[in-house]
Amino acid sequence: MSNKTECFYEVLSPWAEADPVPYRAISPRIKDLAGKKIGLFCNTKRVAEPTLKVIEVRLKKMFPAAAFSWFFNTVPNEAIIAQTRKNEFENWLKGVDAVIAAYGD
Amino acid sequence: MIMLANYGFANDAESASRSKGMPGVRVVSTKVPCESTVSADIEAGLDGSWDDIITALTKPLTTEEKNPRVEKTETPARIVFQGSLEEVNRFFYRRGWTDGLPIIPPTEEAVQEMLLGTDLAPDYLLGQLQSRLGKATVEKVAINAVMAGALPTYMPVLIAATIDLLESEQGFNGYTTYGFSTGSWSPFWIISGPIRQQLNINSGSGSFSPGNIANAAIGRAMGLIIKNIGGVRKGIEDMGVMGNPMKYTMVIAENEEESPWEPLHVEYGLKKEDSAISLNFPQTYLQHYPPGSDATSILQSVIDNITRGMRYTIVFNPSTAKNLAREGYNKEKIKQYIVEKKLVSAAQIKAQLGAVVIPESGLQQSSRNTAEMVPLIKDPRLIRVIVGGGPGAFVAHLIGGGATPGKKEIQKIELPKNWDKLVDKYKNVVPIYAKY
Repeated sequence: MSNKTECFYEVLSPWAEADPVPYRAISPRIKDLAGKKIGLFCNTKRVAEPTLKVIEVRLKKMFPAAAFSWFFNTVPNEAIIAQTRKNEFENWLKGVDAVIAAYGD
Repeated sequence: MIMLANYGFANDAESASRSKGMPGVRVVSTKVPCESTVSADIEAGLDGSWDDIITALTKPLTTEEKNPRVEKTETPARIVFQGSLEEVNRFFYRRGWTDGLPIIPPTEEAVQEMLLGTDLAPDYLLGQLQSRLGKATVEKVAINAVMAGALPTYMPVLIAATIDLLESEQGFNGYTTYGFSTGSWSPFWIISGPIRQQLNINSGSGSFSPGNIANAAIGRAMGLIIKNIGGVRKGIEDMGVMGNPMKYTMVIAENEEESPWEPLHVEYGLKKEDSAISLNFPQTYLQHYPPGSDATSILQSVIDNITRGMRYTIVFNPSTAKNLAREGYNKEKIKQYIVEKKLVSAAQIKAQLGAVVIPESGLQQSSRNTAEMVPLIKDPRLIRVIVGGGPGAFVAHLIGGGATPGKKEIQKIELPKNWDKLVDKYKNVVPIYAKY
């Protein structure tokens, strides 16, 4: 038997408003990796470091004149710029031409 | 910079980049298996992405990447839909606004009734909840509370719980880790103080089982708040590998009437007459059966069932708690006993945790001598002891994360002026089982 007295509901949205986040552009790219200093940013998860090591070996083979510099975030799940090492990280960034980051997931 | 991510995390990486204001971050999706320790798999996983890595590093920026346009965020109309019960449910489900179970339609009338549970104005902003920094207004809390089937008397609890999430510490030990981690950590709410009885929150037999509206709806409402205000989407921000049924709800009241010890909120410095809510993020719920009812047997069983160097909430049933108290154990002494007696080799901790340094474990104090025996849990403040459940011998452990010891552990619940009247109106909403 059908229900002929079905109710009609006018409902409010549960979805919260959020302010738009101001966007920034990413850094300009380098034309070529030859002779450049490549930063390898290694986060805490265990596959990050071996992944970046493989990348370093392969890039060295392709670009023998390229140099590499590592930076390790050792605090799980905490942005490096929120830590006391912020200045160290920013100085490291100034010394490299490009960065490959691996979170580990 | 380019970011390498397993292809299953590409959406997560994109969401994180956007929420941090850099939507153009070039995410290179790889087939490197998550958490892999096998070199050949890592090598093979990178093979298919190699050209993408070089391109992402060297291809000039597009116009869009140079000048990313801020997209207008969706702001649904206040009245978002009209329809039958079934149509409302289908609409909400398809928008991703439910937990999969049917919801109560949040009509203007129902939300107004819910707002009787607070003196705060509907547009009062409690804060902006991660990950999308959604504005947690009192009205949005009330709307999600209606959907979950909450009663207006739960509003003070839900507001306090939302504040607790908002004030959760940043980083490894806070909501921003446990809400989104691959570990599927689940919010676990402990309510203590007089409000437990006013809301009929179950702290007795089957405390963690379904059947009590307060235990069910408070946890469910907080799940919807995390989803609809925080914008935490399963498989995008919440990357729990296995997921966790405790995310539907995990709420208990401390059984203060049958406890020989002081309640949790008093331990954390509040007055006995205060009410409060406390949050942890366990991954696992475990029960064990002590081989005897004396303190030695009970505590040995507790020790045997502590296997991970993390936070523990131990829920003792009333008779077990009383037996421990009779033999001189208070909460502090139990915690200290666990720290002193649960020793494992440093090598065992390292093997268990892999390369990840868990700050709260004994790992940091382990020496280079991997044979040295160290406490699995080094700080007694990582252990909570409460009394709950009914008659019987089983003891429960909730295993997993929470605040760094010494940081925020509890949130006081503030009551509205009309509290007594409101409690009176809803106090009889309790199940009365048929006799047979």
